[in-house]
Amino acid sequence: MSSTPANMMSSTPTNLVSSPAANRSARLAVRIGIGATLAISGVIHAYLYIHGYQYIPTIGTAFLVQASVFCALAVLVVAGGPAWVQWAGGVLSVAALIAFALSRTVGLSGFTEHGWEAPYGPVSVIAQVLTVVLVAAAVLKPRAVTRATR
Amino acid sequence: MSAERDPQTMTRRQLMRHSAWFGAAVGLAVVGGEVISQVAGAVGSAQAAAPPARPTLRFAQISDSHIGFTGTANANVVGTFKEAINQVNGLGYTPDFVIHTGDLTHLATPEQFDQVKQMMTGLNTPHIFTVPGEHDSTDDGGQKYRQAFGAGTRGDGWYSFDAAGVHIIALVNTLNLKKLGHLGTDQLDFIQKDVAPLSSDTPIIVFSHIPLFAMYPDWGWGTDDATQALSYLRRFSSVTCLNGHVHQLFTKTDGNITFHSGTTTAYPLPHPGDGPAPKPLTLPAGKLHDALGIREVSYTKGQQALALKEQTLS
Repeated sequence: MSSTPANMMSSTPTNLVSSPAANRSARLAVRIGIGATLAISGVIHAYLYIHGYQYIPTIGTAFLVQASVFCALAVLVVAGGPAWVQWAGGVLSVAALIAFALSRTVGLSGFTEHGWEAPYGPVSVIAQVLTVVLVAAAVLKPRAVTRATR
Repeated sequence: MSAERDPQTMTRRQLMRHSAWFGAAVGLAVVGGEVISQVAGAVGSAQAAAPPARPTLRFAQISDSHIGFTGTANANVVGTFKEAINQVNGLGYTPDFVIHTGDLTHLATPEQFDQVKQMMTGLNTPHIFTVPGEHDSTDDGGQKYRQAFGAGTRGDGWYSFDAAGVHIIALVNTLNLKKLGHLGTDQLDFIQKDVAPLSSDTPIIVFSHIPLFAMYPDWGWGTDDATQALSYLRRFSSVTCLNGHVHQLFTKTDGNITFHSGTTTAYPLPHPGDGPAPKPLTLPAGKLHDALGIREVSYTKGQQALALKEQTLS
């Protein structure tokens, strides 16, 4: 198989170096990692939405959307969805991190927040950073390996 | 046949498969959102249905009516203030009280104070509370304001009271201001002594005209000695600060304290930093009412946060 764009949309990117069994295990571990970190971020936002954030204009709705989309993506990633599901998780995690940074600095839709008490902020940020790292690993590794074997 | 197919394109089967995954993503997200909303609603209902040790508190906030203002930003501030009053009266319940967070008048003339006071008697509520804005004390340190609205207050017009187990503090930070709002030593002492006997689980609501947080200090949207005042409130589990002055909605959370800037019934101001100074904005025809409004606030025992509902003037 060649690494054409159509194939890169597949849920089973090609690795031409390691053994197929090792590749499958690695891909499964990365997929579970992406799903888990997406789920953690989604569940935290759902919890915060239920426990107060629903009353904050705009931000409440954003928390609800974030929670539902991240949980949905988590399920689909673990279920073996195509690569674009993982990319979507990575891109949305970057967007969520940017939104978090804005809310801690210049404000987001009139909302700013300070302080790191309670575990939710740090855990969510760590989960989103891990999502981005894992998605980057899942996307870049097959390409790098493919180039090396040309 | 496959040799003729462009490798860059997707087969029909691949397209259908990706479409199915996309549909599943959308469907799961919608279902998940609905479940979370239902859970949030159920939690709220359960808390509301539980026999409350304290009754629910509901009140409305109006702000910055600027009675006496004349300009293109709003040629009829009296009319829009009447609409705001009618909107409060049409909430479907009688609010426990209504607060006006300052700049009742534009130039603090006796006639403007008479007019705004007369108009506010039309509010369908047992209690009306106010704090002065800087426009209410343009030339006399707030003397005319206190003559009109200062009954029962202390110092330069500050006070506190309890309602439904909630402790409410009204602060005056528009007198003795240079650039930023200022509370002063006497008022800081008042706050410290006022909250000293309260248990830490008492919900606290503070209202003032100028924000108690640094919303945009370059435009004076902050209070220079607010940090000291807020230090007395850090031990409480729930502190909600409501202010006017900035003529726009803005929310900020700092630990246990949440700040909510309210909008106006008169005219909008620019967002922080948009332009050199906070001058009244003249909006396109038909857009003014979207920038003006009132706020409903409710508290239910057992809930950490107050529920706020913003309404634009209809």
